Amino acid sequence: MALINILKISTVYSRVSLTFRFNVYIPKDLNDALRALKVEGEGLLPIAGGTDLLVLYRQGLVKFNKLLDLWPLRNSLSYVRFEGGYVKIGALTTVSELLDSRIYMDKRFLGFKDACSGFASPFIRSIATVGGNVGAAHPLSDIAILLLAYDANVKLASLDGERLVPLREFFIDKRKTLRKPDELIVELSFKEPPTNSSTSLIKLDRRVGHSMGYVIVSTYLELIDDIVKDVRIVFDSMGKPYPERAYKTEEYLRGKTLSEDVVKEASESILPNEMRRITDYRSSAEYRVELSKVLLKRALFKTKERILGGA
Amino acid sequence: MLEVRRSDVEYPDVEIVMKINGELKKVKVKPYERLIDVLRNKLGLTSVKEGCGRGECGACVVIMDNRPVPSCLVLAVRANGKSILTLEGLAPEGKIHAIQKALIDVHALQCGFCFPGVIMMSKHLLDNNPDPSEEEIREALDGNLCRCGSYLRFVKAVKLASKYLREGKTYFDESEVLR
Repeated sequence: MALINILKISTVYSRVSLTFRFNVYIPKDLNDALRALKVEGEGLLPIAGGTDLLVLYRQGLVKFNKLLDLWPLRNSLSYVRFEGGYVKIGALTTVSELLDSRIYMDKRFLGFKDACSGFASPFIRSIATVGGNVGAAHPLSDIAILLLAYDANVKLASLDGERLVPLREFFIDKRKTLRKPDELIVELSFKEPPTNSSTSLIKLDRRVGHSMGYVIVSTYLELIDDIVKDVRIVFDSMGKPYPERAYKTEEYLRGKTLSEDVVKEASESILPNEMRRITDYRSSAEYRVELSKVLLKRALFKTKERILGGA
Repeated sequence: MLEVRRSDVEYPDVEIVMKINGELKKVKVKPYERLIDVLRNKLGLTSVKEGCGRGECGACVVIMDNRPVPSCLVLAVRANGKSILTLEGLAPEGKIHAIQKALIDVHALQCGFCFPGVIMMSKHLLDNNPDPSEEEIREALDGNLCRCGSYLRFVKAVKLASKYLREGKTYFDESEVLR
């Protein structure tokens, strides 16, 4: 009897492993990829690093028969450029390439050091891409959260042309974005920030390696003589299942001196009013709100230190 | 109960060329096959272990074009034209690499399932940073899970290996070490 059971189980397993079947289209260039998307429509899913999609596929959460492999386009879509007052990051730049670009050597971009060196694990970083992180539209996407703090724009390309969408409007739900099935994310760009500004990203979890974070917060500050000229605060979630900015807290901080009292007021009475958190198996809503308050304080002072320290 | 997704369609083979451990290999792969399937089942490189199959454990790490990648999340067609290094190619026949020697020296080995990944990550670290600090070693190995809990010994071993390498001792005789 036991033997029969074992046999049954083994046949199920072998069938499962055999049924992971799909076809892959390998494009010659960007135009070829866009043409394939136009023809195939929703049946063809673009895959960048695959660190998210292939895992979801294995779990049975996403189903597809055809993939569009974007890796051959990396020649033209992997870069970090400064052009015409804008910082432009190619969508297929991997996280380790972003780290190797040493963009964080400039204090205005120090947030990239936080986001990239705390990103998953070293071997995931070498295939996970910036565009994939944004396109996955998962709340715990470090790079997307940091880019929101820079108020970045997403460039979408299709055969009909290109369009720019502000990243803050790009997410519409968990794993849902404004990207149409025939479009591809090709670039993320943001205005080069002024010299008296900096960013930081703080993620807290039990471990350092492979951490997703109970709460992730990223802040951008522009200070003139200790007075907040511009500020952007981004949390992994403000109530909806995608990264969002804390607009009311930003509004409160703008124009004020960044002192202990002001930061305390902002994080302890303004922020909890506009933030709604969920309870799940990883953490409770109350804990997440408490943690958000503390991390916001830390992040603001960290960013301030970076601006003043001139690192 | 596992969901069984049956698919009666069979997709045509794709021929890819890879440089594996210094040797050019032509392999016919299916579009849905992962690099780990091809390395293990078609090329017999069984040092590449499948732990979780979702990029969390680091047992399947191989070095592709000088970057460590989890071979369970890389489609085989993507490895076309790339050079790949697995544990088998680390040292010539009859020799073992300084990292392997160091791991044996500090008695890090228990079950050894995670070792191929750990060794490849250590190799990548030592190639780029000949004298890493403890902090840097921990950071480099933080994605490699070891169920036996030999983490502290990995740190010791990588330090020892970096010492060997800086002294110019890259390879050791297998017969000498494995007595």
